[in-house]
Amino acid sequence: MSTHRIECTVNGEAHSAEVPARRLLSDFLRDDLHLTGTKRGCETGICGACSVLLDGEVVKSCLMLAVQVSGRGITTIEGLAQGDELHPLQKSFMQCGGLQCGYCTPGFIMASCDLLKNNPRPGCDAVRHGLSGNLCRCTGYTQIVESVLHAAKDMNHGN
Amino acid sequence: MHEFDYLEPASIDEASRMLADLGDDVRVIAGGTALMLGMRQRMLTPTHLVSVAKLERLRGIDFDARQGLRIGALARHADVARSPLVQQHVPVLASMASRVANPQVRNQGTIGGNLCYADPSTDPPGCLMALDAQVVLGSARGERVLSIEAFLVDYYVTALEPDEIVLEIRVPPLAAGTGGVYSRFLRTAAEHRPLASVALVARHEGALCRQARIAVGASTPIPTRLRRAEAFLEGRTVTPEIAAEAAAIVAEDIEPVSDSRGSAGFRRDMVRAVARRTVAELFGLSIDEGVTA
Repeated sequence: MSTHRIECTVNGEAHSAEVPARRLLSDFLRDDLHLTGTKRGCETGICGACSVLLDGEVVKSCLMLAVQVSGRGITTIEGLAQGDELHPLQKSFMQCGGLQCGYCTPGFIMASCDLLKNNPRPGCDAVRHGLSGNLCRCTGYTQIVESVLHAAKDMNHGN
Repeated sequence: MHEFDYLEPASIDEASRMLADLGDDVRVIAGGTALMLGMRQRMLTPTHLVSVAKLERLRGIDFDARQGLRIGALARHADVARSPLVQQHVPVLASMASRVANPQVRNQGTIGGNLCYADPSTDPPGCLMALDAQVVLGSARGERVLSIEAFLVDYYVTALEPDEIVLEIRVPPLAAGTGGVYSRFLRTAAEHRPLASVALVARHEGALCRQARIAVGASTPIPTRLRRAEAFLEGRTVTPEIAAEAAAIVAEDIEPVSDSRGSAGFRRDMVRAVARRTVAELFGLSIDEGVTA
């Protein structure tokens, strides 16, 4: 099996690592870099718990090989807060109760980042479409959608 | 996932030779969304992956008034959906691409990769068939151009030779006065694989249909052109009743698959309903006017 030297940026920090060809991006982040905020859920591309940003766009890290991200920039849930200051989406999910067990939450928040980047003032339907690649088995999604709408309002404040 | 080697050829020739040398043990990787699923589930067990990521020829989206759209095989669904060229010249294609799977897959999966699987339960093949698209294949032996109909051979089978890769997709320019609608039926809002899809591309003056191309996808092993329904619509002023009649012809002329996701009869009914709504939408009719599905 071939191994590969990959250079990538994760949460702003440059990494150089030797990975076997079959290492999934999700496993690279969790097992090699110990960034366990990214969750392994279904590992078959359905649940979205492993969502991360690749060059600012949301992808499922269980459907991607680590070798595919060489030269690129990754943002995980650990990279959103600025020091002690949580990202507006993180605050919103807390304030609006957008989680119960919390396992799907990092994936939802990463997908929401991409959604709000493309559509800073989404309506309810746009939020639901933007989060259609993520599953939550605890909630009825209502408070997740409210969390994203609340964060959007928060992030647009003053604009 | 079992072990494999990952190869990154720098040219189409090199990629083609690798594919020819490695035979059945090799798979091409583009975005990887479908391939990773197949490998995780042990449906595919290649010993080698050949990445096409470094092949510049497979990138970009261009438009030429005579040739139409050229979409590089590595264009992701999100690229197709957001491309101003696609939105301007073939809006139905951008609209279809914006609905493929989910945001994560649209940011990773490619249009070329999608076609190579000939997976019936996805959106692009049927839409591209109604658009009369062509697929450009390349190998160390040269290039060849196939219609989508010729490229998609059967359920999960394409006309790709072992040493060939998809380079680009070509969509001819739409004649003035041509509109397109792509609609589909999902069993649940959370399921991203359509059970039935209908693509209609028609040149028309108001409700008068001059020319039509209809393709049904997702319900048949490979998308199906509906020539009898096309001929029925051509020259007619489309009313809700005509839309229903055309939809009935569409439903009658397909040979739907029957599987755990839906019986042939259910699929035929859904195709009829989707077809009627698709025709009604293109000709600006209220979808619930006059008739019942």
